[in-house]
Amino acid sequence: MSPQRFLSKSESQVPMTAQALVAHVLESGDFYAAVAVHGIADARQRQRLEERLFGSRRDVLMLARWEHTPANVLDALSRLEHMPLARRVVKHRNTGGSTLKHQFSQSDDPALTGLLALHANTPAPLLLQIAMGDHDQVVLKGLARNPSAQPEVLRLLAQRFPRRFDKEIASHAAVPVDLLATLYHRGDKFVRAAVLAHKHVPEALLLQAAKSTETLILRALVKHPQLPAALVDTLSQHKDNAIRAALATRADLPVHLTARLALDESDSVRRAVACRADLAPTLMQMLAEDHDPWVRQWLGRNPMAGKHVLQKLALDIHEDVRRAVARNPNCPITLLEKLASDHRSWVRAAVAYQPNVTSCLMASLARDSAVDVLSGVAANPHTAPALLKRLVFSEELDVRRGVILNPAAGPEILLPLLQDPYYLHRVMLASSPKLSDQDKWQLRDDPDARVRFALFQWLAARALRPVADRYFYRRKA
Amino acid sequence: MNTILVVAEHRRGEVRPVTLELITAAQQLKTAADDRVLLAIIGQEAESLASQLQWAGVDEIIACKTNSAEFEPELAEQAVSALIVSRKPIAVLLPHSVDSLGYATAVAVKGGYGYATDVFKLAYDGGALVATRGGYNQKVNVEVDFPGHACAVMTIRGGAFKPVETVAAPLLTVDDRSELSARSRPLEFIEQGGGGDIDITTVEFIMSIGRGIGEEANVEDFRELADNIDATLCCSRPIADAGWLPKSRQVGQSGKVVSACKLYVAMGISGSIQHMAGMKHVSTIVAVNTDPGASIFTIAKYGIVADIFEIQEELQAQLA
Ligand SMILES: Cc1cc2nc3c(=O)[nH]c(=O)nc-3n(C[C@H](O)[C@H](O)[C@H](O)COP(=O)(O)OP(=O)(O)OC[C@H]3O[C@@H](n4cnc5c(N)ncnc54)[C@H](O)[C@@H]3O)c2cc1C
Repeated sequence: MSPQRFLSKSESQVPMTAQALVAHVLESGDFYAAVAVHGIADARQRQRLEERLFGSRRDVLMLARWEHTPANVLDALSRLEHMPLARRVVKHRNTGGSTLKHQFSQSDDPALTGLLALHANTPAPLLLQIAMGDHDQVVLKGLARNPSAQPEVLRLLAQRFPRRFDKEIASHAAVPVDLLATLYHRGDKFVRAAVLAHKHVPEALLLQAAKSTETLILRALVKHPQLPAALVDTLSQHKDNAIRAALATRADLPVHLTARLALDESDSVRRAVACRADLAPTLMQMLAEDHDPWVRQWLGRNPMAGKHVLQKLALDIHEDVRRAVARNPNCPITLLEKLASDHRSWVRAAVAYQPNVTSCLMASLARDSAVDVLSGVAANPHTAPALLKRLVFSEELDVRRGVILNPAAGPEILLPLLQDPYYLHRVMLASSPKLSDQDKWQLRDDPDARVRFALFQWLAARALRPVADRYFYRRKA
Repeated sequence: MNTILVVAEHRRGEVRPVTLELITAAQQLKTAADDRVLLAIIGQEAESLASQLQWAGVDEIIACKTNSAEFEPELAEQAVSALIVSRKPIAVLLPHSVDSLGYATAVAVKGGYGYATDVFKLAYDGGALVATRGGYNQKVNVEVDFPGHACAVMTIRGGAFKPVETVAAPLLTVDDRSELSARSRPLEFIEQGGGGDIDITTVEFIMSIGRGIGEEANVEDFRELADNIDATLCCSRPIADAGWLPKSRQVGQSGKVVSACKLYVAMGISGSIQHMAGMKHVSTIVAVNTDPGASIFTIAKYGIVADIFEIQEELQAQLA
């Protein structure tokens, strides 16, 4: 990397109060900075900001659609009373509950109701109102899937339209337990399977389902933590591979069944066995010889896999199996050393992301030419600061981003990256808590609008924090 | 009699498969029995590489011998320009690739020819050649014609035409251009992508995972699923940034454009502009996301509002 701009001390101080920050933005006339500080402006400043922001129709339409537009600006936009704008505002994921409510009260556009039924921020009473009054099946289906829909909404839908949305309701996290039972009794096998997959399914239903011969029902049942013990043995011989595979993942599987399933004819069952934390050494050794590479791969990732098994798998002809060993949290350092010189860079990269790599090994990986390996070294919190300082100047932007993403990279390492030629890196640093506001202030005139937006958004959020917090934060940086 | 000139692309001694698609495209431009398709291959090894070009629908292979073993844009520009002057084609078809973009514009501008890039459909309208390409971020199809130009240079989108499958024995002509000189000289060949990893720009079926995957351990479940259904596993940027999949598997603006992909299954991907830049052209997009408002649904042919882990488990169960 060749830093394009010379690192200079900022000429001026960062405005410390909200009012001073907004005043700076008003003076600069920067559109994106104005969006960022709109939420902290006082009434008079806000009016001036809005003159800047909503001056042209093009800007207004752009803001209503821009993914970063904050809730307060969307609220101001919603009061501009423009029909196509209303749809955009309601569609926007940042729009807040009170704005959505306002839009609903102002409009009789049926498309808006559909959007409101889907929106995560739509207030509860509004969702209930839609559930009570609306007849549009598409809108109501969206409502039944809305993660913010409350139990009353789901209950109402189940009452108003029996069976119509039962599958959606049965899959909803907020469905009341008694309703689950109703849905089970009146539902087809798909609804029943959805009920059984629900984490709040009543035990009585599990016992009923145990009598079923329907594969779909048994597949759902076998995953349930409260599976009746008597069923475990029976299901281990079920002809459906998926049922046996699911059984093989159960923590309460008796040892003799684990041993039997380790010999199962279906690859998917043995793959599930290979992930178990309670495998006997003999079983592990057997699975390490399995003809299916995925069985060996899952074993290679298994934190309980013994040293000898890992040693064997580290020599596997499949690179993914060797990589699995290199990603194993308990992979011994001697094996990591071997894998660090694997001929496949994706295996070496796995070593570079390991927390327990020695500094000597890390130094040798830092000389690798593969970008995946170098990115791993750059992102690894255990990499020595001296190495990180070097990687900050890598030609590869992925590697430089690795340093920015490294939780242990301190301000002294990150500082040169404030002038990184790739704007995304400057965006990331503008909102990094590791750099001081004063250091970031040099980004206020950044040629890229997204960088300026990120900086002023950060500063605006800071202006809302208590002073003591800010002091601590700056000291830390 | 019309002539259509196709320029073959090759790398490291291998003719790239996109060349076969260009031959099909060229055949669509033939309107009379005596129209001719010429296939030029440029480089030091042009003559020996010609053996990989024995395809039906080609009337003549022109082995343009230059003095550079690797692709060199200036040599390609000069060789193609000379061929246009001597063979007078009505259309020159090049792959829409990094190589072609290194010289196609120069050929068109210097020769005063018509020019269109990323073309995915070719037709005649009242005798005039019309090329179709995407516009406004692929939101509309733009038809381009070339009034007043005797020749049109076009780069053709990969995957838009079916590759020719039948072999034949076209006439071979050697065109010695070793006198051409370039201002640059290749020093080292650096393979793009993750150390021998699959080239995701050439695969047809992709399953892609995004941040919805949650943690690294889950990536393996989806890799296994992809393996089981013969899909290539790709990802959005956060996944590559975390080192969970190689950088070479990243789709999007700062990743790769999956130009040959025909079926793209997006799992737990929100559909940022940057991600969609790499895949929105795919004809069949299936998106799985718990958020019904996720942008990915605006371009998906089939949208599933569901938990990706449920879908993954269900598919694995079906496959088991
Ligand atoms: C200059 C620049 C270049 C960029 N280049 C690229 C690029 O090349 N490629 C790229 O991908 N990005 C790129 N990005 C990043 C891009 O902006 C997005 O941040 C990124 O694409 C988001 O990835 P995502 O969709 O995986 O994650 P998110 O946006 O976080 O989306 C995750 C999605 O998963 C869903 N989800 C969560 N859990 C589940 C579940 N259990 N089941 C189903 N769904 C679930 C969520 O609803 C959400 O929609 C670039 C950004 C910039 C600024």
